Amino acid sequence: MKTYFFLGKGGVGKTTASAAWSVGLARSGMKTLVASIDPAHNLGDAFAADLGDRITHVADNLDAVEVNIDDMIRAYLDELSVKMKHTYSYMSAMNIDGYFDILKDSPGIEEYATMEAIKKFVALAQYDAVVFDTPPTGMTIRVLAMPRVSLLWTEQLVKMRKRILATRGMVENVQGRLEAQVDGETVVLSSDEKEDPIMQELVAYREELKTLKDMFSSDQSYVSIVTMAEDLALLETKRIIESLGKFRIRVHAIYLNKFFAMANPPDEIKGKMEEQERVVARMKAEIPGIAVKDIPLLRNSPRGIEALFTVYSKYLV
Amino acid sequence: MGRLLDSLKRGFRSFDKGMREDATSLIRKQLDEEESVFALLTMGAFSGLPSPPTGVLLRILPHMSREISVMNKRSAGLDDVFSQTLGTFDID
Repeated sequence: MKTYFFLGKGGVGKTTASAAWSVGLARSGMKTLVASIDPAHNLGDAFAADLGDRITHVADNLDAVEVNIDDMIRAYLDELSVKMKHTYSYMSAMNIDGYFDILKDSPGIEEYATMEAIKKFVALAQYDAVVFDTPPTGMTIRVLAMPRVSLLWTEQLVKMRKRILATRGMVENVQGRLEAQVDGETVVLSSDEKEDPIMQELVAYREELKTLKDMFSSDQSYVSIVTMAEDLALLETKRIIESLGKFRIRVHAIYLNKFFAMANPPDEIKGKMEEQERVVARMKAEIPGIAVKDIPLLRNSPRGIEALFTVYSKYLV
Repeated sequence: MGRLLDSLKRGFRSFDKGMREDATSLIRKQLDEEESVFALLTMGAFSGLPSPPTGVLLRILPHMSREISVMNKRSAGLDDVFSQTLGTFDID
């Protein structure tokens, strides 16, 4: 399966680019899903269709979905809360729901939920390609970096857990099975990795993270930046490429959206057009190996399958 | 006679248990410390320590009841750390 991510600041045209790209893939015969993981959705506006949490068929070979990250966090925490109420009997006496109210606003939870959403969609075997319309740059970089960062922590925790189980094993050899009292209940403390639920969970999560990390840095994953031909955007684009490079994620193309093209420009916008030319020249010189393409400022915002296909065929490929 | 043998057996069993516990007391202390460090690292967010990404914590949280009880026990005994250390080395 191929995955496509369109990154950029808010309002640069990520949604149009990702929607147009998905239409192009679908028309080339690939079974495609386009998923908006941006909390401020407008994928439905681009397709001129009502989209929501459920995968909706929008054209031949093309389905679309707008993921509600807040609902996803709530559903996940609800599930976790039920699981914990079973395991932690004493916590039901405490205000466990209050605890989860705090957890839903804890740092990193939105990035975690977004990563889970990506994981869920790339696991859908019925698609040949998944196109992601992403949240603004900063958060997307954190999401793309998350598997690698989480993997580092998980590997360290696995090592620590192994040491604990080995020490338990030493005591067990002399004293027999270890037991502990947890809230009045006797719990057997196993030294076997296969019987330790924390170890099992960490090992399973490590494998999931490895798969995701490898997927993000594989040649089946295409990351493109959507931006504008401005001096500040050039600097930001270079920083994005550098940040992603640290996590071995390669950028394949840069799209300069809302590009002014005019035969006899009035004086008011001459300076802007000179800036554009300057930025394009610098981008090509300073960011070698990445295709730079411009998408002109269109008279009307493209809406609907045909208009999106025109954008794809004229400017994206 | 039978009673005497039974009580002797019981006596030896408790003696054996005592010896085994004594022999592993330092390793048990090491185990307690390792479990405390694991609990502190994974539940560190509550005490302001750098903690693993939320995703990692959420995955293991349902299985952490023992670690939470270790943390509770540990924090309850914090005002008595000196005597715990002396106890470990059998200093009265």
